[in-house]
Amino acid sequence: MSKFYTFLKYFFIVFWAVFVVAPFLWALTTSFKDFQSVNGGVTYIPWVDFEPNLEGWKVLIKSPAKGGVDIVEPYFNSLFVTCTASLISIILGTLSAYALSRYTFKAGFVKNNDITFFFISQRIMPPIVLSIPFFLFLSSINLLDSLVGLIVVYIVLLMPIAVWIMVDFFNKVPREIDETALIDGCNPYQAFLKVVLPNSIPGLIVAGMFCIIFGWIDFFFAFILTFTEVQLLPVKIVALNSSVTPWWSLSASALVSVAPLIIVAFIVERYLSKGNLSGAIK
Amino acid sequence: MKIIKTCLTAVISSMMIFSPMAYADKWSDQFPHIKATGDIPGDCSYEEMSKKNYKGKTLKINTHAIPVMGEPTALHAEQFEKLTGAKVEVTHTPAGDLYSKAMVPFQAGQAPYDIVFGFSNFINDWKRYLAPVPKKYMNSTEMKDVTKSHMGVSSWDGTMYQYPVDGDRHYLKYRKDVIDNPEMQKKYKAETGKDLKVPTTWKEYAEMAKFFNGWDWDGDGELEYGSAEVMKKDDLMFAAFFSRSVAYAKNPRTPGGFFFDLETMKPNINNPGFVEALTDWVEATKYVPPGGINFGLGDEIGSFGGGQTLFSFSWDDAFIAAMQDDSPIKNKVGTAPLPGANKVWNRVSNSWENQYNQAPYIVWGWAVGVAKKSKVKDMAFDYLCFFSNGANHQADLAIGRFGVNPFKNSDFDPNIYINSMGWDPEIANSYTQTLLDMEKSQNRVFPLRVPGVFEFTSAVATGTSKALAGQLSPQEALDEVAKEWEAIVSRVGKKAVRDAYAVGVKMEDNQL
Amino acid sequence: MNFKHKYFFLFPGLFVLIGILIFPIIFVVRLSLSGWNSYNPGLDFIGIENYIRLFTDDPRFWESFFRLSFLSVTTVILQYVIGFALAHMVWKDIKFKRFFRVLFLVPMMTTPVIMTVIWRTFFHESLGPVNDILSNFGLSPKWLTDPALAKFTVIIVEVWQWTPFMFLLLLAGLLSLPKEPFLAAAIDGASPVRKFIYVTFPLMAPISIGAIIIRLIEASKIMDTVYVLTSGGPGTATETSSFYIFIKGLREFQMGYAASMSFTYLIIMIISLTIIAKVLTKLLLKE
Repeated sequence: MSKFYTFLKYFFIVFWAVFVVAPFLWALTTSFKDFQSVNGGVTYIPWVDFEPNLEGWKVLIKSPAKGGVDIVEPYFNSLFVTCTASLISIILGTLSAYALSRYTFKAGFVKNNDITFFFISQRIMPPIVLSIPFFLFLSSINLLDSLVGLIVVYIVLLMPIAVWIMVDFFNKVPREIDETALIDGCNPYQAFLKVVLPNSIPGLIVAGMFCIIFGWIDFFFAFILTFTEVQLLPVKIVALNSSVTPWWSLSASALVSVAPLIIVAFIVERYLSKGNLSGAIK
Repeated sequence: MKIIKTCLTAVISSMMIFSPMAYADKWSDQFPHIKATGDIPGDCSYEEMSKKNYKGKTLKINTHAIPVMGEPTALHAEQFEKLTGAKVEVTHTPAGDLYSKAMVPFQAGQAPYDIVFGFSNFINDWKRYLAPVPKKYMNSTEMKDVTKSHMGVSSWDGTMYQYPVDGDRHYLKYRKDVIDNPEMQKKYKAETGKDLKVPTTWKEYAEMAKFFNGWDWDGDGELEYGSAEVMKKDDLMFAAFFSRSVAYAKNPRTPGGFFFDLETMKPNINNPGFVEALTDWVEATKYVPPGGINFGLGDEIGSFGGGQTLFSFSWDDAFIAAMQDDSPIKNKVGTAPLPGANKVWNRVSNSWENQYNQAPYIVWGWAVGVAKKSKVKDMAFDYLCFFSNGANHQADLAIGRFGVNPFKNSDFDPNIYINSMGWDPEIANSYTQTLLDMEKSQNRVFPLRVPGVFEFTSAVATGTSKALAGQLSPQEALDEVAKEWEAIVSRVGKKAVRDAYAVGVKMEDNQL
Repeated sequence: MNFKHKYFFLFPGLFVLIGILIFPIIFVVRLSLSGWNSYNPGLDFIGIENYIRLFTDDPRFWESFFRLSFLSVTTVILQYVIGFALAHMVWKDIKFKRFFRVLFLVPMMTTPVIMTVIWRTFFHESLGPVNDILSNFGLSPKWLTDPALAKFTVIIVEVWQWTPFMFLLLLAGLLSLPKEPFLAAAIDGASPVRKFIYVTFPLMAPISIGAIIIRLIEASKIMDTVYVLTSGGPGTATETSSFYIFIKGLREFQMGYAASMSFTYLIIMIISLTIIAKVLTKLLLKE
């Protein structure tokens, strides 16, 4: 019986792995195609089915005057904005999450869970409608088309995630730890920094990862709130999307934009496995 | 004395003969883009631009994605920078977002871009934020070459708000290697009893498309199909629908409104003319390639341009793609005016008239405007004039992927296409003739350009796509659209819509 | 616990959030009471006309809500089940555990706007590999042009993209479970199935609820996928509320009306999510 389970397990995992990889493989071959190879019929293997060329990739570093979209600068802009906004969101969010986990708040009938819910509900609003108000808001403080302006907006988008994840993780860390630390003579801040935080590293990693991901993949706000000075990666890539969709360069750009996050995935996995997890309590 | 005079004359006259060539070479050396023609004299030629000094000033442009319009914008920006010392920043935006990218800042009172690209049917919505084209440019040599109908498309009631840089229209494209092929003609005649020729009505179009649907008729090992059309429910498919409708619904004997009756502002969109066209269109879902119902413009270009279908009928791009050097069907495609119909609806007498009717649809195309709040308007207009100057425009026309299509009288010379693009003379001639005929026709339809235009076209898109998907019958679908149109008119304000529509009707009734 | 400290912890985050958000939120409400659109920009005051129109004259909005519920609930359930299964499988020792863990995280990191373009080619009915391969078996499903199948295609893409989210959360949760209950179960000689039902699952309940709620919120905003794949089509088969709001807002530029739709959407979502959370809590934590 258990042999069957094992077989089933491997089968399912391999099936899902193939499902995950399939579009990437397709993107990879498509990135080496040109107009005729895409529209003439379905082609799979380079050199066998069609003549590969590097046009799809070259386009990513050529300047627009030569028909390309130079993604080097937007790449770094996106990295900078995403990391900064994530960092600030995590710091502020973790602090708030700690408070919501450990202390009781009561302002009228508004309790802890409601405040947490308030944080999370910021993510419900469809971005479209926030576009004009954010536009007006940033233009009134003269931060349109700037890295700082984008960071400000992204903090609002990402902090709720940080809060929610950290509240969950803090709830898992037993209060005895805090109390032990206090008894040992620490003030609450030290207790937080020296004792609770190190025990929540998996949570921080996960929260950090989600912040980075949601920040990196945002298209909408970057699109509405920037013009010529600042360009983020998704907006720049979409600049390729003219009437004749260039599948080849879009495929290449999709692969390129995933690359940095794969590094993040490795880091996250490592921390999860090592885990300062349950054992640390004792 | 005589010898000196002769020598002097010889020297001077040879200088005069050779100087235009020297004039041309000087610029085309520095700017290989115009090497075919050299700099062409004019108010905005390379020579003239080099005299301007915009050092220290910045020009900001928002244009379409690469390459259609995006690449020439960036290329001319680079050239402009070199000639005038200005700094030009260009951003690229996908077609569907050009409107919001320009309008959101405009409506918030800002003008982050000096120049905005868009489509010509934005004109009513964004003209209040644009600076009218100054007299100086209206009188320029370049502007005088623009055809009358394109001057009309760029203007509103006599004032030009959009600088002409491109011209667009819908026309029929077909595979010459099939339609003009004697063997295919024999086969078609034998099996259907009708002649295989360039279709002149939508019914003929459908018959031929169905006949050639689903088998390999060009021997390339792949299946081919009848027609590639824009059917995906996006911002462009309503134009494909209108192209199919004009023959049935634009009646030269009933002026005073095509989309609406100008007097009452009652929508015409669900009259039998339009319904007939929609019925044709639903029928078309049977002769498009697999997935054809989800074809956007890009898919249509890829499909026809890649040799997958017999016909196509929207913008120029599919034809230009088919005529590219690396296309397997280069010089195997032909052009013709949009099919007409053997009956046209008369909305006054409420009956069909059984006579042949055809009407070109001067559909909207790329348009560009200068923001009223721009601080560098002079430079902006100079750039736009430079963009479409003689040399640049001819060079742009020759590069299919740029998306620049004829709109000047001098563009209708077949030699341009024969020489620079390697087109077959017969094809080049039929292309320029087809386009010229559209300019000359008196029974034309212009795009709807009223306030809230996108609400109207969005309603059409939703309704017709429901019919295409089989959710509603053509009559039901168009009735729904008509009802929505009435609601929109009352929301926007009948007077506002009527006043705006009156301008369009003037153009259609040839009064402007 | 000293009073002062708790405010110090909570307030920086809360203040920043409210500070940045207060203007936009108030603006949206004000916008919904105006008739801002392309030919009439500016905040005029038309009272609750937008809301009246929404509730009496716009069946399309409510239809889209219905579709949205179907799509988001289906995708979230699928993502939860698959994500949990995957997390459970790579939790303990299997071959290449670390490779699989990283691999399964990757889809979430792609930009939806770009990745969906790839999916569009993938499912392209004449030029895509899926139908090409299937045609060898005589099948040629209309992935993007059949109203029912199109919904399914959207679900497939969403599941591909976001199952890693559930996977990651649940895996992190599993890895942080205390060892004691499992030791106890082993001593009791429990079978894998019993272990799962009585030990693993209940311990994972709190995090499951959180994950489901968050995924529901995010899934309801499905925009990029629908936009690129089908533009809400064929007909209106895949038109979700947020897509409809997008069309009304940024395509037709009826900003005032779009704001009223968004606000209504917000209220409905808050109510339904609160209900769902309470129901789930009751169900899963009662064990």
